[in-house]
Amino acid sequence: MTTRQAGQRFRQRKLSTRQNLQIVRENEIEASNLDDESQRNIPLVKTGVEEGEESEHHLQAVISAAQAGAKASQLYIPTPETNVSLGVQYERLYPHRFQQPATYIRFSSTVEDCIGCPYCMTEADEEFLKKLNSKQRKGPQCTEDEFEQVMNFFEQTSASKQPFASVDNTPLLSFEELAAAFDEDEIEASAQQFAKDIYPYWKTCRTTARHHPLMPTLKFERNVDTDDSDPYVCFRRREVRQVRKTRGRDAQIAEKLRKLRRELEDARNLMHHVKNREFARREQLSLEKKIFEQRASVKEAKRHLGIKGDDEDLINQKPIPRARPPKLDPAIIQRGAMGPGMVPKAPLTIRADGRPPDSDLVQLVDERNRKNADIQNIIQDSMAKHRNWNNDWVDDTWRPITPPMDNESRRGNSFRAAFTESLPTPPPSFSEGEDTNMIDGARTPIPEEEKSALKLPIRYADSAMDAGHGAQGAFRRRTGRSGRMWIDRRGLKRKSPSARDERERERCHYDIESDEEADVYYTDPYDDWNIKYRIAIQASPNRGTHEQQVHAQQRMLEEQQRKLQQVSAMAGANNARAAIPVVTC
Amino acid sequence: MAPRDTGEDKPDTPLAVEKGFATLPEIRVGVKAFVEKDGEKRKAEILSLQTRRGQPRFYVHYEEFNKRLDEWIPAERLDLSREVEWPVPEKADKKKAHGVQATKAPLKDKNPKRSLKQRLEREISGTPEFASANAQRLQQPSTAGGKENRETVTVTTEVVNGTPKPDDEEMDVDDVAAAAAKAKAAPPENYSVEEEREKLRVGGSMTQNQAEISRVRNLDKVQMGKFEIEPWYFSPYPQEFQDVDMMFICDFCLSYFGDVKQFERHRSKCTLLHPPGNEIYRDDYLSFFEIDGRRQRTWCRNLCLLSKLFLDHKTLYYDVDPFLFYCMCTRDASGCHLVGYFSKEKESADGYNVACILTLPQYQRKGFGKLLIAFSYELSKREGKLGSPEKPLSDLGLLGYRAYWQEVIVDMLMEEGRTEANIEELGSIAAMTTNDVLHTLQNLNMVKISVNHPTGSGLGNSLLSSNAREQKNQHVIVLTDAVIAQREKQKEKDKKVGKHVIDPDKLIWKPPVFTASSRTWNW
Ligand SMILES: [Zn+2]
Repeated sequence: MTTRQAGQRFRQRKLSTRQNLQIVRENEIEASNLDDESQRNIPLVKTGVEEGEESEHHLQAVISAAQAGAKASQLYIPTPETNVSLGVQYERLYPHRFQQPATYIRFSSTVEDCIGCPYCMTEADEEFLKKLNSKQRKGPQCTEDEFEQVMNFFEQTSASKQPFASVDNTPLLSFEELAAAFDEDEIEASAQQFAKDIYPYWKTCRTTARHHPLMPTLKFERNVDTDDSDPYVCFRRREVRQVRKTRGRDAQIAEKLRKLRRELEDARNLMHHVKNREFARREQLSLEKKIFEQRASVKEAKRHLGIKGDDEDLINQKPIPRARPPKLDPAIIQRGAMGPGMVPKAPLTIRADGRPPDSDLVQLVDERNRKNADIQNIIQDSMAKHRNWNNDWVDDTWRPITPPMDNESRRGNSFRAAFTESLPTPPPSFSEGEDTNMIDGARTPIPEEEKSALKLPIRYADSAMDAGHGAQGAFRRRTGRSGRMWIDRRGLKRKSPSARDERERERCHYDIESDEEADVYYTDPYDDWNIKYRIAIQASPNRGTHEQQVHAQQRMLEEQQRKLQQVSAMAGANNARAAIPVVTC
Repeated sequence: MAPRDTGEDKPDTPLAVEKGFATLPEIRVGVKAFVEKDGEKRKAEILSLQTRRGQPRFYVHYEEFNKRLDEWIPAERLDLSREVEWPVPEKADKKKAHGVQATKAPLKDKNPKRSLKQRLEREISGTPEFASANAQRLQQPSTAGGKENRETVTVTTEVVNGTPKPDDEEMDVDDVAAAAAKAKAAPPENYSVEEEREKLRVGGSMTQNQAEISRVRNLDKVQMGKFEIEPWYFSPYPQEFQDVDMMFICDFCLSYFGDVKQFERHRSKCTLLHPPGNEIYRDDYLSFFEIDGRRQRTWCRNLCLLSKLFLDHKTLYYDVDPFLFYCMCTRDASGCHLVGYFSKEKESADGYNVACILTLPQYQRKGFGKLLIAFSYELSKREGKLGSPEKPLSDLGLLGYRAYWQEVIVDMLMEEGRTEANIEELGSIAAMTTNDVLHTLQNLNMVKISVNHPTGSGLGNSLLSSNAREQKNQHVIVLTDAVIAQREKQKEKDKKVGKHVIDPDKLIWKPPVFTASSRTWNW
């Protein structure tokens, strides 16, 4: 085919491959309506056949025949002959053993997996084997399989031990050398016994073949100059495909490398820290051991000397909560890493080092339960006593009975201490030593030990209750004539309930369990109106009112108790935080 | 680049060919003489000579015949009553490689600018035969899918000048190999050796310029299954087989043997019953297996060696790793017998969907080729890509593809109710490149321009209804009588013989994905 020269009669559009073209049948239109020459304006697409071959006789004959029309399509390109082979025993060579599975075949074994022993004996081998077997008429006969195994073994061993035998003409391996390499995996014992008899034959074959392998092999590249032009050298290795380089790609790769470096650096640092931690732990353990030993010797010494008491030093003491770090690195918590200092605080039953927990360890749960029980007891106790004490009396100015503050103060001054004697509040507080001459004061006896700890003579309203009540008024109590008691007050400005801190309201919001009690009315017991009201009711003791008052009192108590719990829970949270590492260990 | 002036470039027409009468002993390699072939005398070049049992024989290549018809002839068939052409004088022989071409064409072989440009163009153009001198093309991004989505197509013929080949005559070879080497220096070629190698090295090409490989067949006969086959071309089976009368090839593992006893022993041990890969297609007639060149190196090498016997342009220069092999088999009680195959790059930069394609000669002219081609396009459809076979095509390849393309396109055009078509749409339906569609239409003389029909005498009403003036000088696709007749005839024949088609529903296949590392490091 040659490129036709375009003879344009008029200006023509280029053929667009995207535009819809009308399909017409030749017999539907007049030939004069079609411009044949138009095709010359369309670029002639190449056939893709090499130019030298495109002009070949037979190809051209077929092409022109095809273009001439359907009739001549019987032409074809002649090819060398193929015939059904007459001499082949096809059925014997290809036995019927294929059974098509119902599903599509999936297969991954290689040719090497499927052809058994790679050495296949030739006709010459067969003759040799016959001779060999006829010589050994009495002994065992060598089978073809065994013969092939031996030959294959010789070939493989020499190929691996003398890979360049065909090039440098090194002498063939002796039988002894070969026999030394006998391996059950490659050559069975039954075949090994024939190896010595076959060796001379193999040697002759190898020598005749000029040290080339007996089974013809493909010629691969050997990195010599003649490789390139040798038509028999085939299946060379390809080099790595070049990746097109762009700046963006370079930057991308650089960033990846930097990231990789960073991550490796991080990993290294982490390992470094772990190492340090383990060193520290080792040191801790050795110290613990030392302590243990010294305690043991102390015990020994005490026993000898008959000293009693001061045994506290012999057990691990509860740690001081303040000593621990206020905030823990969450990463460390997650990884379960645990500073040596934290170990004694572990409130869980299982320690990191697998030892059972020390019995003296304080556990958050216990602590909480104990505290709750204390509170409960005190409340019950107080209520019982109060009731007892108030027997036959009507409490007209009810006051909440709150548990003593000692728990808080004992826990380490976490709350503002009660202060001053300048602000005595009305009952139920009592002054120590003062007798129970107050009309409505609730006498709440304080446990013995607390007396020593807390010298404050007066119990004030719960500090938690007061928190947020900014302006403190001033009060004065004086005894008037004929022993009348007066309370003077000054600057007492209470916020109206609506003005109370929204946050505070929020804090109480979930304190009430029942929905019906959701509305809490903050009333000021010191409000003039309230006091007057209470005094007014005093005049007419009414059973029903009394009961209502008791209920209200109880409710108030409960609320306060809840608040206390809240506070202690907050304190407990600190403990809990410290506990987390042990949990995850 | 200037368009190729074929007349001057053709190395076969040197200014002065030395002619004269020759006697038999004077005949040597390179001489062109008339040889009797099928009752007629044809000019043929002597590529090799041998003496067997005292009788000389000559390996000849007939001019204008495909190399597969090259053959050994006895002296009697040489017609020495006519003048012979003597080979190019000794002078050229001295600097064999340089001389021959340097005199023929003014080559600026080491022109770096040009070679760079050539390389660029090859990289850029989706289909290499479509390169253009237009510099704008250089800016166009490569369309990896092989889609040539250009609105309009301009064309110039690409000329890739050959550069001289290195002198590779230092080998110690016998006369056949010497002839082979000499053939390598033979003139007609469009690619330089270096370029060719470079292309092979970095790309996944499976074809190679013919001059690269020995031109003398090295095997006489091959037995495979129940067939005896005459090889067509050289294939680098081990040199030991050069002397055997018959080479035996196992029908399943494709191993090769020169000794019948050896072959029988092999058959008694070989357990393979089908190509060693996964079956991806099965119907009543055929099965297709997908084989990964990297995983089945031995089998694929065997397959390549075998197919090289019948494919001139195939190269075995590099290994089989970057290819997948799709093998078509017929089944019987003994197993799945290979009928044909095509190879395909795991990732083709040029958008080729077939690298090499072959129906084994014993199964040729039975319609298998068309099924192979159809299957390759079925895979492309599944991949959502347009595909085209790698070039160069062989003569048989071209005819096979043209037949398939024609059938597919004509069927689409003749669909009930179809009045218009655009080339890209046709391509995307058939997973064919725009270029191949255009090629087919052009080859069948179906693209024309309608002129002079303002009255609409010829064209249908639908065409008239739109602006008639617009339609003037409009391209149309003409279903010619010849094309329709041919299609009808084929349909009739199919009906008679029973036509086999590829049923896409029976293809259980997902395009395999290869990791970046396997692509980077393993080929
Ligand atoms: Zn086999």
